[in-house]
Formats: sequence, C-alpha cells, structure tokens
Amino acid sequence: MSPSASAKYSGNYLRAVWWALLLGALAALVPVQNRIDGVRGLYGPIEDVLYMPSGRIIGELSLGNEGLLADIYWTRVVQYFGRKRLAKDVRLDLLGPLLRITTELDPHLLIAYRFGAVFLSAKPPEGAGHPEKALELLRRGIVANPDYWRLWQDLGFVYYWDLKEYAQAVKAFRVGSQQPGAQVWMKAIAAMVATKGGDPETSKLLWTQIYHSAQNDQMRENALEHLAALTAHQQLGYLDDLLDRFRAREGRPAHSLRDLVKAGLLRGIPVDPGGVPYVIGKDGRAALGPQSNVKLRLLL
Amino acid sequence: MIRRVSTIAVHTFKEAARERVLYNLVVFALLMIGASILMSHISVGIEEVVVINLGLSSISVFGLLMAIFIGIGLVYKEIDRRTIYSILSKPVYRWEFIVGKYAGLCLTILINTLIMTVGFYLALFYQTRHISRADLQPLGAVYFILLELALVVGVAIFFSSVSTPVLSAAFTFCIYVIGHFLSEIRFLGQASKTAVVEKVTAFLYYVLPNFGDFDVISRTAHGHGVSQDLLVANTLYALLYIAVLLSATILIFEQREFK
Repeated sequence: MSPSASAKYSGNYLRAVWWALLLGALAALVPVQNRIDGVRGLYGPIEDVLYMPSGRIIGELSLGNEGLLADIYWTRVVQYFGRKRLAKDVRLDLLGPLLRITTELDPHLLIAYRFGAVFLSAKPPEGAGHPEKALELLRRGIVANPDYWRLWQDLGFVYYWDLKEYAQAVKAFRVGSQQPGAQVWMKAIAAMVATKGGDPETSKLLWTQIYHSAQNDQMRENALEHLAALTAHQQLGYLDDLLDRFRAREGRPAHSLRDLVKAGLLRGIPVDPGGVPYVIGKDGRAALGPQSNVKLRLLL
Repeated sequence: MIRRVSTIAVHTFKEAARERVLYNLVVFALLMIGASILMSHISVGIEEVVVINLGLSSISVFGLLMAIFIGIGLVYKEIDRRTIYSILSKPVYRWEFIVGKYAGLCLTILINTLIMTVGFYLALFYQTRHISRADLQPLGAVYFILLELALVVGVAIFFSSVSTPVLSAAFTFCIYVIGHFLSEIRFLGQASKTAVVEKVTAFLYYVLPNFGDFDVISRTAHGHGVSQDLLVANTLYALLYIAVLLSATILIFEQREFK
C-alpha cells in the first residue's frame, strides 16, 4: 500500500470510529436518561417544597414583573396538579400555597380562583380535600374582583357540594345573582337549593354550569365525571325500583337485567353514561358493570 | 498519543490562565459566596440554607460563564490567529487537538471550581462555626456542577469549531437554557395529547443535553444527600454526552480545510 493510500485508509478508519462513537453514545443515552428519570422520579417532578412561601415577597423581588411571575406560578400550578395526577399521587400539599402565591402576585388571575375552588375542595384523589382553603381563596378573589359574579357561584358551590351547608350556599348564590352580568339561573339555583337542598337535579344543573364556564380541560373533565356519576346514580336508583317491582310481580329476584327485559319492564339492557351495561350486583341491587369508568365515589 | 494530548491540554490551561476575564469571574464568584453570609442574616431560620443555596448557585453560574466565555474561543482563536497551521503541521492528529483543547479547558474549570468550593466552605464555616460530616453533602452538588460544566464546555467547543465566538456563546447559552427545561418540554408534549408533538418532544428530550439531571442544589441545601444511583447514572450520562459532542466536533473539524 502506498503512503497516500495508507493515510487515506487510516483517515477513513478514524472517521468510522468517530461515527460509531457518536451514534453508539447517542443510543446509550436513552437507557441512561431513563435510569436517571427513575432515580429522580417522573421527569424530575416538582418537589413538595416551596422556598419562597410568600407571593408578596416574590412580587417585591420581581422588580415590577409580578404579572409574568404570576403566569409562571400559574403554569407551575397546572403542571404540579397534572403531574400528581399522572403519578396517581393523592397528596396535593402544595396546591393551596401555589394558588395563594399566584393570586397574591396577580389578584385578577380569575382562572386560578376558579381552579382552586374545584380542586382544593374536592376530596382526594380528585383534589386536595381542603374546602376551607378553597373558601379562603374565593373570598380573597371576591374582594379583589368584586364585579365577577362567577366567584360567588363557586363559593356557593363549595358550600353546597363539599360542605353540604345549604343555607350558606343559598346566601352565596343570592348575592352572586345580584352582581352585574350574573345570569338568571343563579336566582333559580338559589331557590332550588333553598327548597330541595342537595337533590340530584340541582347538583346536575350546577355541574353543567361549571362544565360550560370551565376554562381548562382538567376542570371540564372533572365536571363531566361528576355529571356521569350523578346520572349513573339516578339510573341505578331507577333500576333498583324496577328490580323491586319484578320481585313483587314474579315472587323471585331477577338473576340478570335480561329478566327485566323479558318481563317487559325494560326495552333493552341499559348502559351507564360511559356506554357500559349495568349489571345486578351480589346484593341483588343494580350496579355498574366491571368495565365501567363512572366514579360513584365522587358522590360520597 | 497521550503525551501529545496532554501537551495541548497543558498549553490550553496556561493560555486560559492568562485570560483576565477568568480572574474577574472568580473574584465575583467569591464575592457572591461571601455575600451569602449577609443574605443569611436577613432571612430567619434558614441561614445555613441560604449560604448553601447562594454559594452553590454562584459556583454554578460563574462556572457556566467561564465555560462559555473561554470555551467559545478555543478553536476559533487558533483558526483566526492562524496558529492552527503550525499546530497541524506537526505530527498531531486533528482529534488529538480537539481532545487536548477540551481537556485543557476542563482542567481550568476544575481548578477554578476547587477555588470557589474552598471559598464556599470558608463562608459556611464562618456561618456555622463548624464543619460536620453532614456539611459535606454539598460536595455531591459541586460534583454535579462540574459534570454540567464539562458538558457545557463540550457544547461550546462544538459550536466554536463551526461558528464565530458571539454566535457560539449565544447557541451554547440557548442549549443550556433549553437543557434545563427538557422535562417541562416533554411534559407539555404529553399533555398536548398529539402524537406528533409527543414524539418530537420525546426526541428532543433524549437528543438534547438534559442539564436538569444535575440540578440537586436545593435538595442538598435541605440536607438531602445525592444517591449512589444518581451519582453513577449522571456520571455515565455526562461521559456519553461528552463522547457524542467530541465525536461530532472531530467529524466536523476533520472535514474543514485550512487555507
């Protein structure tokens, strides 16, 4: 081999070595990164520590950029909540403080109050299970945004749904209905709660309003889940009545819902809001199918 | 081969040591570390935490500035001053030149980080009046800062071989910032529920250097140690990524013609 051919061979050989090293190392990075993710937690989750617990101090340090920081904190709220859900972690210790900092930085960030009203008050695993903190957040929101009637709706809702304090709920709905721009159904809801308390129709109406006014997917999804649970609960009650009628008429309990169809009590096998057929449980009462996604525990 | 690489590395170290900006940065870093003592007096109940947080953050930030400002000129200066001709006319492979330059700058960063770490421990000693076994936890964070800086030097030398110093500094800084948000980017991709976005963000997550992996300063400040697993995994990650960066730099540098 001539010297020039030898040099060319050596150059090609070296180039192949560098390419192999580059591609090999790049491929090896994937399992190593996955290992790091495993050690650090899911994509390095936000740790449950707040180093700056006061929105006012953060605001002072921001040198006039409170709005931007509020947006960043709001993003952190959403990510914190989303990640906790993804990791099926029921502890939401930071949700309250993060929302407080966000709203202290920007008292007019309405979505933060509304998000907090739903997820601070909801019982775990759907929320943090702190309705009192939700009330505190909403009261601060109302002071900062006195013309925004939806916060009164949310306040009434927390009293109605989470605390079952119907008198307080009626008061909040009534005051809210008197705010500028409030929709007429606020008065109707106040009247419904005053007369019927926590009946399913009132609850469905409230969750429907929350669904329509929700400003993000998590809130909409949450409202839909509650509506599905309320509908399923009503339908199960109706099926139980039919099962009682069947037993009274035939002198024996129904073995399956087909018995009700054969007896002419049902036109077909009914399905829950998720499309999964209802069944008869071991206790002889109507129940959700094993594949059902409806969360009846939301109503407890 | 090793002798040639080490000669270039030592020469690079001596050259970097002559840079005035280096001393300015070290002095500023030491001042910041010293200022952490003052800051700790303002905060109630977290004096030691403030000293550790501010001290380690100063080491990280000023180390980053050193890595970028010196790293971006490493190869470009040799080409600009035409000293590259005299180096490459000697029996030195181009890859030896790149690896030597890289090693020289890493040595510079290492020595400066050691100086800043000594300053940090002096500040901590002044604050707590003792150095216990638990106070050695921040050394884990210092090690991760060094790995991070070694990666930054790799990124800087890569851009330095293909671009001008100003652009290299901008690119390196951008990669550094993006590298700290990769987990957020991936999370947003997953939250988008769009297959294409999810795949693109997952691709970026693995291809770009994930500087967030090395972020343990806050944990260390609160007395949490760095696990053995993370120590090994992060070291391996840094070595692999440096191999990627140096290979890419060498492949580009091999193709360049110097006229």
